[in-house]
Amino acid sequence: MILETNNLSKSYGPVRAAEDISLSVDSGTAFGLLGPNGSGKTTTLGIVMSVLKADKGSYRWFGQEAEPATYRRIGSLIEIPNFFSYLSLKRNLEIIARIRRTGTSDIGRVLDLTDLRKRSSSRFDTLSLGMKQRLALAAALLGNPEVLVLDEPANGLDPEGIAEVRKIIIEQKNRGKTIIMASHILDEVEKVCDHVAILKKGKTLAAGKVNELLVTDNIIVIDSDNNDSLKEGLVEQALVKSAELKDNVLEIVPASGVSSGHINRYAAGKGIIINQLYIRKSSLEEQFLKLVK
Amino acid sequence: MKRLIKLEWAKISTYGFFRLVLILTASLFLLTVFVFSRIDISIPGFTWRNLFRFPDVWPSFAWVASWFNLLLAILVITIAGNEFSGKTLRQQVMTGLSREEWLAGKGILIFGLALFGVLMVFLTGLVFGFIFTNDLNPGIIFQKMDLLLVYLLQAIAYMVLGLLFVSVLRSNALSIILYLLYFMMIEPVIRGLCPVEIRPWFPVKIISHLTPFPEFLQITSGDALENNAMTFESIGIMPRQLDGPTTLIMALVYISVFGTLTYLVVKKRDL
Repeated sequence: MILETNNLSKSYGPVRAAEDISLSVDSGTAFGLLGPNGSGKTTTLGIVMSVLKADKGSYRWFGQEAEPATYRRIGSLIEIPNFFSYLSLKRNLEIIARIRRTGTSDIGRVLDLTDLRKRSSSRFDTLSLGMKQRLALAAALLGNPEVLVLDEPANGLDPEGIAEVRKIIIEQKNRGKTIIMASHILDEVEKVCDHVAILKKGKTLAAGKVNELLVTDNIIVIDSDNNDSLKEGLVEQALVKSAELKDNVLEIVPASGVSSGHINRYAAGKGIIINQLYIRKSSLEEQFLKLVK
Repeated sequence: MKRLIKLEWAKISTYGFFRLVLILTASLFLLTVFVFSRIDISIPGFTWRNLFRFPDVWPSFAWVASWFNLLLAILVITIAGNEFSGKTLRQQVMTGLSREEWLAGKGILIFGLALFGVLMVFLTGLVFGFIFTNDLNPGIIFQKMDLLLVYLLQAIAYMVLGLLFVSVLRSNALSIILYLLYFMMIEPVIRGLCPVEIRPWFPVKIISHLTPFPEFLQITSGDALENNAMTFESIGIMPRQLDGPTTLIMALVYISVFGTLTYLVVKKRDL
């Protein structure tokens, strides 16, 4: 087990930022913390990275109580990148290397990986937000840590930058690194993570494998000459999990084992003419919103 | 230890404000002692230039240097404050630096700056002492040089108190303003409201008294008053002070208290 949290709780005055958050992250997994803004993702990561003090609860890294040496095995990027504004990128990375006790020989590699080599002598405060984010990622990767803890890693990046950062993270995952990533962007979590915990208002709503938790139903969209009657009949016959009329078309989620052919045959039997029928996948976003509502 | 020194040096060596304050402190100190050295007052029982002669050059230069301790304390507040407000301390802790190591780094910084002050006083004192001392013998050069160690302690005390202020307030501007107000107004007012016996025990009073106002009459009067040395205190110009060893012990106690409080604040609070 890489990380285990038990009932982590933290309040800021009357606001409960995290409430009884219990998570388990296995070695080699990509674990997503998913939730809207203010759901407690950053607070949870802040606690496990020892920069925030939990009011209650405990956590263990690598099966042990965390100590400073523990964090030298973890690369992290939480909230906005925080570096010495008057120092160059290289000097900032040297500071990280000294703290992590990795030596400075790896700096070139991470600068290349994040495409920052040309700007290595620039002061941190002259960088764009996207470049700062890349530097933070470079710092997280420095010394080849076993675990990456990333909070909104695509924050401030342009679409090309997002794709590059995602590629780097997936590469790290494929190398067997454990990734713990917080994001409010479903697409990001879906593309990178295999496990997810969904948070809302500081509480864990659900946790599990992405493909189980955020299972995507097929939706059959039908346009017939009598949508009302068709809807009524399908519900009566228990051929659907749900049926809804939207913009003059009928959207149904078929019951288990029911295919579009069954629906077509039923309509024909009732003398209803189907003008159009197609299948679309319900988006991850719809599933997520269903969970957080 | 070596790693922490290198780490601290990597953070500050190219920091413009750090260089500026060091240059400013050294320049202002040199300018002050140079201007003072041009004064030539000599009346019966009082020779100004004795302040620049061995061994009295050490207490008088330590006293002048103590004026600039506030600058060094402001530098410490700024350096540490930047790490709080810029959240670089947060980043360092996440990377694997313990809060204790961070504080040790700041301790090294404070000690280094205090050493800088001592070196500044030592070299300047040495040059002025050689220039102004007429009857030079090796023995008197090193007399009263222990005042340099006392100055070191005083500079440390100023800076540790500054570190405490910024650790609690986490804002450079607010910390500097309140720190200066505490030195110049808050504590003097509180002292003024307290009974006379308690007044010498306040921290700023103790710290300031480590390098006391040179007692010119005693220093400069020479043989004339040898057997009946007057001091500003004895003639009522200066308020009653604690004796040297008590002041020294109390200064150490205050440094320990400020250091412990800083540790507790940094250890317990969110970053």
